Amino acid sequence: MYNQKTTLKSKFTSFLFVVPYLFLFISFLFFPLLYGIYISFHDYNLLSQENPFIGLENYMEIFSFGSSLSDLFFEGLWKTIQFVIYSVPLLVIIGLGLALLLNSLPGKIRGLFRTIYFIPYAISVSVISILFLWILDTNSGLLNNFLMKLGISPIAWLTELPYAWISIVGATIWWTIGFNMIIFINALNEVPEELYEASSIDGAGAWSNFIHITLPSIRPIMLFVVITSTIASFNVYGQPYLMTRGGPGDSTEVLLMSIVDQAFNQRELGSASAMAILMALIMIVVSIIQFKISSPKKQGGN
Amino acid sequence: MKQYGKKTFLIILATVIAAIFLIPLLWMISTSFKNDFEAIAGGLNWIPKDFTWENYTYTLFSQGVDVPIFTWMFNSIFVGIAGTVIIVTVDAMAAYALARLDVPFKKTLFSIFISTLMIPFVITFLPLYMQFSNLGLLNTYAALIFPYTANAFGVFLLFQFFKGFPKELEEAAVLDGANKWKIFTRVVIPSARPIMWTLAIFSFMQIYNDFLWPLVATNSPEMRTITTGIAVMQQGSFVSSYGKLMALTTIATVPILIIFLIGQKQLIKGITQTGIK
Repeated sequence: MYNQKTTLKSKFTSFLFVVPYLFLFISFLFFPLLYGIYISFHDYNLLSQENPFIGLENYMEIFSFGSSLSDLFFEGLWKTIQFVIYSVPLLVIIGLGLALLLNSLPGKIRGLFRTIYFIPYAISVSVISILFLWILDTNSGLLNNFLMKLGISPIAWLTELPYAWISIVGATIWWTIGFNMIIFINALNEVPEELYEASSIDGAGAWSNFIHITLPSIRPIMLFVVITSTIASFNVYGQPYLMTRGGPGDSTEVLLMSIVDQAFNQRELGSASAMAILMALIMIVVSIIQFKISSPKKQGGN
Repeated sequence: MKQYGKKTFLIILATVIAAIFLIPLLWMISTSFKNDFEAIAGGLNWIPKDFTWENYTYTLFSQGVDVPIFTWMFNSIFVGIAGTVIIVTVDAMAAYALARLDVPFKKTLFSIFISTLMIPFVITFLPLYMQFSNLGLLNTYAALIFPYTANAFGVFLLFQFFKGFPKELEEAAVLDGANKWKIFTRVVIPSARPIMWTLAIFSFMQIYNDFLWPLVATNSPEMRTITTGIAVMQQGSFVSSYGKLMALTTIATVPILIIFLIGQKQLIKGITQTGIK
């Protein structure tokens, strides 16, 4: 009896530790999640007083091909997917390349270069975008002025295809590559030294070591980097919003820009919420697929 | 000899890449000391022909302009610190209890928290906007702070640490008759300081640098954060005035760069720890 009472009291005091976070979690994550689904089932206009329940109609309109909402969603989605396809392989390969380069440098200068490559990661997307807007300016920008010195005529980096995509992808890589590099450096350091020693006895070269030892050893981390980069690229917003304003035309108007526009310029919050929920579902499904494809049967995730 | 040549090549390669990372930042600083005429004229001069502080004095001190830059900096730093303090405190308590104490349904609770790490922000930012709008709390510090505090990342990070925390320290304190709160504040927290700093730096950088949420949650000039404020200026009265824009972005970058350089070790530790697990 006495014992039961103390455990109950103990459980209660332990629970009190979780209460503050639980409160914030419910108020600003769990409730909004449900509220978002609720809004997406309504004809919710920011200006109108009445927002009638319409069930799945917002979703059905997105999937009735040819409707303006459907076009808005799928065209935005296509541009986002384009950005994912252009950026993710580069983010992974260059990230790994920089990590390999740093690891082969003498220890004394390694830290300095690591810091330099990592610096842009600390800067906000609006600073990065405006800085690149300036550097890529057709007439006064640093890059075109440099190219002109080399005898190359100016390129409209932000207002013509494919340059607009190249600019957005380039700025993104410059900004975030340090993060992937740090993860790869750590993964490379975890590869057991004995593996390389054994293969050097066999007389294997650096390339063969890389293919047969390094890559298989860092496979789980590679998957982690692919998934986090994919998610980050899906969320792209600031770079096209500030650098190209979605142009030329609407060729770089990514899905998140369309959702924000639908919500705050068209003020159609109901259909914008439905678009947002579909986008989130796509992101979750894509990361699950990536995980399933790349994880070997003997579960090497840890 | 061949080995020596290879080393030199790698160092040269690393230096060229370093230049690619540094040149845009140096150009930003260089442009911020040029007058608009010289900036627009283009060219490759790194040292301004007509060196001027005008862009800084104008953005910082000019009367009656729509650049309340001190207010924006204050907002960003205040919101960043307040959010970080809440996150570190609340996450440490929750993570410790879930890892070490007899919280009812703790496995279920932890799984629910962790599963939300997969949920992208796009799904909650519109309902959060409506929530704060319904409460009349758009354009307030509450709107700029609280949405970040629900993130389960910190609980996850600290949970890992507390799981591996040595039992003996706690047990010794129990024998001394200390209650859970005393054990937490006197024994656990001091030993968890490094990992809590890691979480603090992560959180501050995330909040200070965030763009979409503060853009949506504020529209009055005096409630903007620095990151959204400069975006507004770029589209407003500073459009194509790159000298002033670069002064503005330089000012915005200095505080976060200082924090980054000081906290780099902690930051790297945090990235690698979550990367492996």
